[in-house]
Amino acid sequence: MRCAEVEDRIGALADGELVEAEARDALEHLRSCPTCRAAHERVLALRTALEQHAPPLAAPDRLRAAVRARLEGPGLAARRPVSWRWLAAAAVVVGLIGGTWQVATTWSSGRALADQVLATHVRSLMPGHLTDVASTDQHTVKPWFNGRLDYSPAVTDFAAQGFPLIGGRLDYAGSRPVAALVYGRRQHVINVLLWPTGSGPAGGPAALTRQGYHMLHWVGPQYTYWVVSDLATAELGVFADLLRRAEAGAAPS
Amino acid sequence: MEQDLVERFEAVALPHLDAAYTLARYLMRDDATAQDVVQEAYLRALKYFDRFRGGDARAWVLAIVRNTSHTWRKRQSHYGVEFDERVHSESVEEQTPEAALLRAADREMVRRSLDQLPLELREVIVLREIQGLSYKEIAAVAGIPIGTVMSRLSRARGRLEQLLGVAAGRE
Repeated sequence: MRCAEVEDRIGALADGELVEAEARDALEHLRSCPTCRAAHERVLALRTALEQHAPPLAAPDRLRAAVRARLEGPGLAARRPVSWRWLAAAAVVVGLIGGTWQVATTWSSGRALADQVLATHVRSLMPGHLTDVASTDQHTVKPWFNGRLDYSPAVTDFAAQGFPLIGGRLDYAGSRPVAALVYGRRQHVINVLLWPTGSGPAGGPAALTRQGYHMLHWVGPQYTYWVVSDLATAELGVFADLLRRAEAGAAPS
Repeated sequence: MEQDLVERFEAVALPHLDAAYTLARYLMRDDATAQDVVQEAYLRALKYFDRFRGGDARAWVLAIVRNTSHTWRKRQSHYGVEFDERVHSESVEEQTPEAALLRAADREMVRRSLDQLPLELREVIVLREIQGLSYKEIAAVAGIPIGTVMSRLSRARGRLEQLLGVAAGRE
């Protein structure tokens, strides 16, 4: 490739929009041409400057509330959040019938846990917080948890199903350190928090939406799972099924 | 029925509120205006939700935010609140690449350079570098061919480098 051709492709090269053969040719030209190499470096330097100083922004809470209020209109606003409201009612009924306050307590701690799980997800999206061990290799991520936790969860890469493993992280939820597995789906990030199931009954999954994030929660025979993402619920459900099948030992290979 | 529609809409559109706000904030260059634009865009999106046939919800939401931003700016300039793209541009001096790279590490400079880009260049660079969209997605959001995405990105980068004092005259 000559300069004139490469010049046109420098942006596309840096953006990962060239097909492999073209990218290879362009890179080869860069090696021998200081002018084009400098131009390529400028694109990358500019990217770094933008990353540092012009980050993606979080919608202010005020805006989120205003959008919801305007969408739902008067009279409709009170029905959120659906899942937990329903669970609250169910818990109260069960509590009354059973003559115990324990279920209601479980529910309110479940809600507090959902808040904590959501907080870990939001925090993980901040620069540099996503993974402690960044690897797409399940055989690297699983042993990483050894010695850091008192359990070592099975780690499965679902790249073939469109949910590649990104890495793992130590996080904190429910008053204990927990394993966080990070998966990707296009530009979306999925966090999976899991810890060994205690003595409680298996169940779920329950779905809820908070602050625009979707969460799925279930209690499997071995592990208790929380899955959080901004991914649409339907796709998140597909992913959750993969995890559940993997735990059941029927993981697609 | 209507509740059901709003609920389905929220499930599709609300996860992209951060992206919507990011785009509006960089396009409008003002927090209060960006919030107004996003609110209007979401109401519009709900109105046209029956035309959404699934697929890339983020690109769909961003396209509506982008169009609302453009409409908003036209409305404002109509009332004489002109957005002057060239304000401050004379303040950029010639400097050595080394000094420029140092300046590039300055938040104020990066923000101001972005703000000085013409809208059609700013939107492609925001969608690409800040929001991580592919060329195909940018083409869908901005309603332009991929070739135009590429030439605008290249112009936007050249202009930003110039504004940041690096390698003037690549355009």
